[in-house]
Parts: sequence; C-alpha cells; structure tokens
Amino acid sequence: MNWGIIKALVYKDFFLFFRNRFIGIVTILGLVLYIVFYFVMPKTIDESLEIGLYAPVNIPAFEQVQAEGLVLTTVESEERLKEAVIDGDYVAGIALPSDALETLIAGQVPDIKLYIASDVPEEIKDSVVVIIKELAYQQAGQPLTVDIKEEVLGTDMAGMQIPPRDRLRPMLAIYLILFETFGLANLIAEELSKGTVRALLVTPMSSRDLFTGKGIFGVGFAFIQAVFFMAIVGGLNNQPVIILLALLLGSMMAAALGFLIGSLAKDFMSVLAWGMIIFILMAIPGFGVMFPGAVTGWITYVPSYYLVDTVHRVASFGAGWGDIWLNLVILLIFDAVVFWIGILGIRRRAL
Amino acid sequence: MNPRRIGILFRKELFQGTKGFIFIWAIVMPLLISFALSALFGTLFSEKPKLGVLDEDGSQLSVMLEEYDSIRYKEFTALSDIQRAVEDGAVDVGIIIPDGFDISVKQGEPTEITAYIWGESLAKDRTVLLVTLANMIREMAAQEAPVEIETISLGEEEIIPWNVRLLPLIMLFAVFLGGVFIPATSLIDEKEKKTLTALVVTPTSLVDVFMAKGLLGFVLSMFVGIIVLLINQALGAQPLLLIMVLALGAIMAVELGMIFGAIMKDISTLFAIWKSCGILLFGPGIIYMFPQIPQWVGRIFPTYYMLEPLMAISQKAAGWSDIALNVFVLIGIDALLFALVLFTIKRTRQLDR
Repeated sequence: MNWGIIKALVYKDFFLFFRNRFIGIVTILGLVLYIVFYFVMPKTIDESLEIGLYAPVNIPAFEQVQAEGLVLTTVESEERLKEAVIDGDYVAGIALPSDALETLIAGQVPDIKLYIASDVPEEIKDSVVVIIKELAYQQAGQPLTVDIKEEVLGTDMAGMQIPPRDRLRPMLAIYLILFETFGLANLIAEELSKGTVRALLVTPMSSRDLFTGKGIFGVGFAFIQAVFFMAIVGGLNNQPVIILLALLLGSMMAAALGFLIGSLAKDFMSVLAWGMIIFILMAIPGFGVMFPGAVTGWITYVPSYYLVDTVHRVASFGAGWGDIWLNLVILLIFDAVVFWIGILGIRRRAL
Repeated sequence: MNPRRIGILFRKELFQGTKGFIFIWAIVMPLLISFALSALFGTLFSEKPKLGVLDEDGSQLSVMLEEYDSIRYKEFTALSDIQRAVEDGAVDVGIIIPDGFDISVKQGEPTEITAYIWGESLAKDRTVLLVTLANMIREMAAQEAPVEIETISLGEEEIIPWNVRLLPLIMLFAVFLGGVFIPATSLIDEKEKKTLTALVVTPTSLVDVFMAKGLLGFVLSMFVGIIVLLINQALGAQPLLLIMVLALGAIMAVELGMIFGAIMKDISTLFAIWKSCGILLFGPGIIYMFPQIPQWVGRIFPTYYMLEPLMAISQKAAGWSDIALNVFVLIGIDALLFALVLFTIKRTRQLDR
C-alpha cells in the first residue's frame, strides 16, 4: 500500500466533498443544530405527581404520605391552592373540609374538593382521584386484604431516571453517522458513473489504495462529527474508550453502507432512493432507546442496534467491556462483510 | 403561453415523471409520516402508565382493569412473556393474578399478587398503577370509598390532543414535499441533461415548460393534501373553503419549487437547501405542536398564512370572515412569488441564450 497516494486521495475526496461551499456550510450547520437540539430537550425528568394540599385540620394519612412518585405540599389557603393549580405549580389541588377528620372517624363520608387545571389530561385526573380514595381508605382504617408483592426487574432507576435528552443522545449520534452514508455513496456513485475510478486505477494507484483512501475518508468524516457531538453533549464522560471504539465501528458501518450504495446507484437520485431505505431501517434502533418497549425483539436483527445499545448502555448506565463486547464483535463482523460486498460491487462496475 | 403545449408537457410529466423516485417519495412520505406520527404520538407519547396482566383464571379484576381508560392495559398468557415485557419496558408494571383470586377477595381472605416493576419506569407511574390496582380490588371487595370527591376544573386552557397538534406539520409535509420537489427536481434534471435547451428551441416556451411542471406539482400537492385531511378526518364543516386554502398553499409550494428549479444547478444543492432552510417552511407546524410557544412567532413564517386558516376551518369550524385576513396575506405571498417565478424564467431565458 502506498500511503502517499492514499493521503492524496483522502485530500481529494475531502476537497471534492466541500467543493460546493454551500454543502460544507450545511454540514457544519447540521452538526450545530444537532447540538442545539440536544440542549433544548429537557435535562430533567418529572418523576413525581406534585399535588397541593389545603388541610385546615391535621389528617395523618394525607400529611405523612410516603409513596414514591407522589409529593403532597401543604398550602396555607384554598385561594392560594387554586392559584397554584392555575399557575401549573401542582397537577392538582386537594382541599379538605375542616370537619374531614371528625367525619371520617364518625364513619361518615366527607366531601373533598379536587381542583384540577382544565388542560390536565384525563388520566392524571383519574389517577389523583384514586390516590385520594386510597389515602382515605388508609385514614379510615380499612386495610387491603391483598398483599402486592413488588419485584423490580432490571436496574431500579427510581429517582435517577435518564432525562429525555440523554435518551436522545445515541439516536442523534447514529443519525449524524448515518447521514454520511449519503455523502460517501454519492461520491462513489459519481466517480463510477463519470469513469474517474477507472482513470485512477490506470495510475500507479492499486485498488487496495483506492478503497483504503475512500474508506479512511468516509470513516473519518463520520467519526469526527460523532465524536465532536458526543464530547459536547457529555457522551464521553463514562468509559470514553468504549464509546470511541463503538463510534469508530459505527462510522465504519456508515462507510461500508456508503460503499454498498455507491456500488449500486447510478446517480444522486438512486443514492437517495437506496440510502433512504437503509437510513430508515438503521434509524429504528435509536427510536427504541427513546421509547423503550416500542420495538420488539426483531430489532436485534438491525445491525445499528448494536451501536445504539452500546452507546446507550455505556453512556447512560456505565456498562463496561464485559457487558458490551459481543455488540462490538457483531458490529465489526457486519462492517467487514458489508465493506467486502461493497468493494466487490465497485470493482465489478469499475473494471 | 400555450395551453395545448402545457397540456402535452403535463401529460408527459405525469406519465414519465411518476416512475421517478422523487414522485413516489413525495406521495408516499407524507402518507407514511401521517400514519407513523399518528401512531407514535397517539400511543407512545401518551402519559398513561402501562399495565401488563397475566390472568389464567379469568378474574373480574382483569376485566375491570381492561375497561379502565386511564391506563394502558396489555394481556399476557405466559409468565416469561410478561417478565420480558417488563424488562424491555413494554409495560411499566406486570401483575400475576393467582387462581381463586376473586373468591379470596370477596371473602376477605388474605391473598397475594405479584407485581413485576420495570426498573426504568417513572415513580409516579408505579404509584398510579399500584394505587389503581388497590382501588379496583377494594371495589371488587365491595368496600365503599370513605370520601366523596368533587372535581372542579380551573382555567380555560383546552387539552389539544397530539393528533391535532401534529396535523399542521403533516399538512405542511403533504403540501410542500411534492409541491416543491416535483417542479424543482424536474427542472434541475432537464437542465442537467440539457433537455430544457432542446425543448425551448421548439415552439414551446420556457413559460409553458415551467407551467406544466408547476401544474403537476400542484395536482400532486392537492391530491396528497386532501388524502391526509381525509385520513385525519379533518375536512371540517366547510370543505370547499378548506380546499381553496389548500390550493393557495399548493400554489405557494409550486412557485417555490419553480424558483428553486430555476436557480439551482444540481439536486445536491436543492437537498442542501432543503436540509437547512426547511425550517422556514415547517416552523409553524412545530410551533403549533407546542402551545407554550407564543403563537405570534408563527406569523414570521410564510406557511403560517396557509396553516392558520386550514386549522381554523378544520378544527374550529371557522368561516370566511374568520380567515379572510390570513387568506389575503396568503394571496399576497403567492402573487409576490409569482412575480419572482416570472423573473427567474426571464433570467433562465437570458442565461440560455
């Protein structure tokens, strides 16, 4: 392999890509938009139902409620409670009558006012009603004869949930990487249709130099963007070496797919047609992290799952080599196979 | 301008252009997006906690839970399935109702329910599901609630369901994807292949070519727009008025498409513009999704003047007097863009010489 030639080829591709200054600006703008998009997403997650309570008398079940996910805050007056509900400080406000405790002890039924903002969804209203009923049952000394035995499956994240923007992180990183598939595929398709690949191969450059050069450009371009993005959004805080390796393998995946699409497509439109199908397919696993449970077991047949899963588990849960090594091996095998098919396709068309 | 030639070119575009990727993309994408986003926001963005139930004995509890609207109920038939669903987050809590559960509850005998909790489920969802479960069991045991709850609604804000919030964005996709891309890509393609020059040396004028391509974009844009409105059951009480607004929006889209087609050199540049400047077209759709954003911001974007009357007619049963001002602004934008189209045609003609 002639590294001087490879270096020249990488430079050529880089300048060819940015020949259109507009595309260059848009690429940088896209990266900036991804970062902005990450930072405008919520950085915290609202895990609790915050309910205001106006209680002129002390009702222990209401005031000492210790349920997880439920925050009852006492306010000084019913007027203040209404204002706070309208202002959105609480999802609901409970106003107990002054004779609530006496009525309960006497075995009678007190009237409780529940203030709810008009734009609160129906399911939240219903939830607050059942919560009040349950508290009243407890206060009235009516025990539940059924014991609900709770068992948490997986890591219990109560109180330390992953905020939406961190769930979005692997999805954005993989989108950034996958977008480069289009660029590389277009570059290859253009070179094949214009015959410049054949022209290059009659120079002292070997086909190995050519594919190495194209591969380095494709992988490097996607990798630099993904690393830059992850570094800015804090995705390299946990196990940076694993994340970097995963991003590198992901970038290799994008380049390999670029080779494959480039070998099949005749022009930009067919790059777009093939690329869109592959892009949508590869983007689905990121969606699965954003909305857990939305996708089923078949998702493991999509190769990008192993990239998304690695980045998510390592960046969000601090997973180590022992947890994700198999993901990396699968990615590596996929990359090698698709690169090989892509190279065969390009060779067949070029020679 | 020769209507006969425009008709011939239009037929050619319609029968040959339909084989192209962009054509399929412009029709299929808005419909796919419409279905996908409706499914996504209709279910995934719902705040209802998800409960899985394994009940081999046909308990009354599972029937009550299934009928309860404020949770999402999912039934399982095997222990391994419900455990997997909890581990994957398909449900927040999965409960196993034991055999003879109903009899035990009704006789007041102590019994047990196993509840698997997904580790990543929100604390409030866990509480709501477990409290709902306890409440239903008490109902089964004929325990009467020791309180009377009077619910009082405060404020005048309305709940805007996600399918309504999303409709503007879907409509923009429907009208502008085909409306812009069909004339633009077709013109760029003709320029790249030099067939535009070949065409204009015949008695066909550039205006004829532009009009034929614009007409195809307009027809497609209207077609997809009406289909999306039908899918979303949003034709409203005044469909003719709605179609008039849609037509004015489609005209704006094809005018933009013709301008892009005239000034862009290649498809890559068109896509680059689309990638970065698409926000100018789709901005009002995004703003509509989030009522917290001051709605006046939408007025900055030209597409607002199509979207606002469209939503007013389909969702608020608005009439002509309610939408007239915005429609006149829309007509003004269309007229301005038309002048720009004529200018770019003139410029293209000069460059061609």
